[in-house]
Amino acid sequence: MTYDDETLMAYADGELDEAQRAAISAAVEKDPALARRVERHRATRARVAGAFARVLEQPLPGKLITAARGADAGPAQRRAEVLQFPSRTSAPPARRWGVREWGAMAASVVLGVLVASQWLAPAEPFLSPRNGALVASGGLATALETQLASTQSDTDAVQIGVSFRSRSGEYCRSFALREAGAAGLACRTGDEWRISVTAAAADVSGGMRQASAAAPAVLREIEARIAGEPLDAATEKDALAGGWK
Amino acid sequence: MTAPTEEISEGIVALLPRLRRFARSLSRNQHDADDLVQLAIERALRNHEQFRGGASLSGWLFTIIKNAWLDQLRARTRHREVALPEDSGEHPAVSPVDTDTELWSVSEAMDKLPEEQRLAIALVLVEGLSYKEASAVLEIPMGTLTSRLARGRATLAAALGEPA
Repeated sequence: MTYDDETLMAYADGELDEAQRAAISAAVEKDPALARRVERHRATRARVAGAFARVLEQPLPGKLITAARGADAGPAQRRAEVLQFPSRTSAPPARRWGVREWGAMAASVVLGVLVASQWLAPAEPFLSPRNGALVASGGLATALETQLASTQSDTDAVQIGVSFRSRSGEYCRSFALREAGAAGLACRTGDEWRISVTAAAADVSGGMRQASAAAPAVLREIEARIAGEPLDAATEKDALAGGWK
Repeated sequence: MTAPTEEISEGIVALLPRLRRFARSLSRNQHDADDLVQLAIERALRNHEQFRGGASLSGWLFTIIKNAWLDQLRARTRHREVALPEDSGEHPAVSPVDTDTELWSVSEAMDKLPEEQRLAIALVLVEGLSYKEASAVLEIPMGTLTSRLARGRATLAAALGEPA
């Protein structure tokens, strides 16, 4: 019995009905040449699928999230436009920061200092006061909204640390700001990322990751709020896709 | 924003990784792919009433991306015939995000396929749709889908140097 290429391809793709499948399976066992043809279809499929699979791991461009949510996105939309993922150079698989590494931030300056500091520089403040609370804005808001710890680059201005669901049900994410040398924790309240704690970081440029000193302020805040375990790469991605709701 | 569109919006956001992958398998770099996805999203939201609740949102979006891509190809062809006989430079050979050589070589091989074969390959091999789902997205009979897929696959296998 000879089989045409389309039939063998359909067999390799699992598209045949049970009777046809059984017949070809039997033929393939006896005929190495036939087996090779089936294998070739499978190999091509695996190779093509494998090559494009990595696109799934890339960070989502803010402009697409914005486009999907339509014109009503308002401030979130403007924030997202700041982000330019497509222009990023290669994205080395960044290690996630464990709670301990976040602990490395040589802590202790809380909220008040920041309000007066460069974070509120007029160009694109990372923090803005709103209704008596301090919320993330500018590049920090964008990063909290769209950046994945699993795919971010060491050179990103904002480094996302641990993400988790808090006991009151909202998502919280810890972050570090390279330029400002500061770190903190933000929780999604409504459509905003409300800052619950901030601390000075001794060295955001890399040494921080190796440092081992405990980080009282942020770490304590994480421990006080976290329900269960931090999100892993997959659940973090799902949470982002779901708009952190 | 009305409730149904919001539902579609969030559905689109959840599907973004796959939409980008599908578009990437049709485009030569991620930058063009993302532009294509953006265009398709805008079309989808403008025509959201065409989406039938209960139908596959991904299938509907794949069809919109497919149509947007074909429109772009035709527009580019017309543009080139008029003014730009050579490559216009719209596709930079190396995009900063495409440093991955495996992705690049498979993408190059895909790029040489006729557009209808590329669509079949993209939907079945890359997106993992069944033949039936893929033929629905492409709005063609299953037999047509199968023969396009087989031809595209043979060309790809040869180009990628799979053992014969």
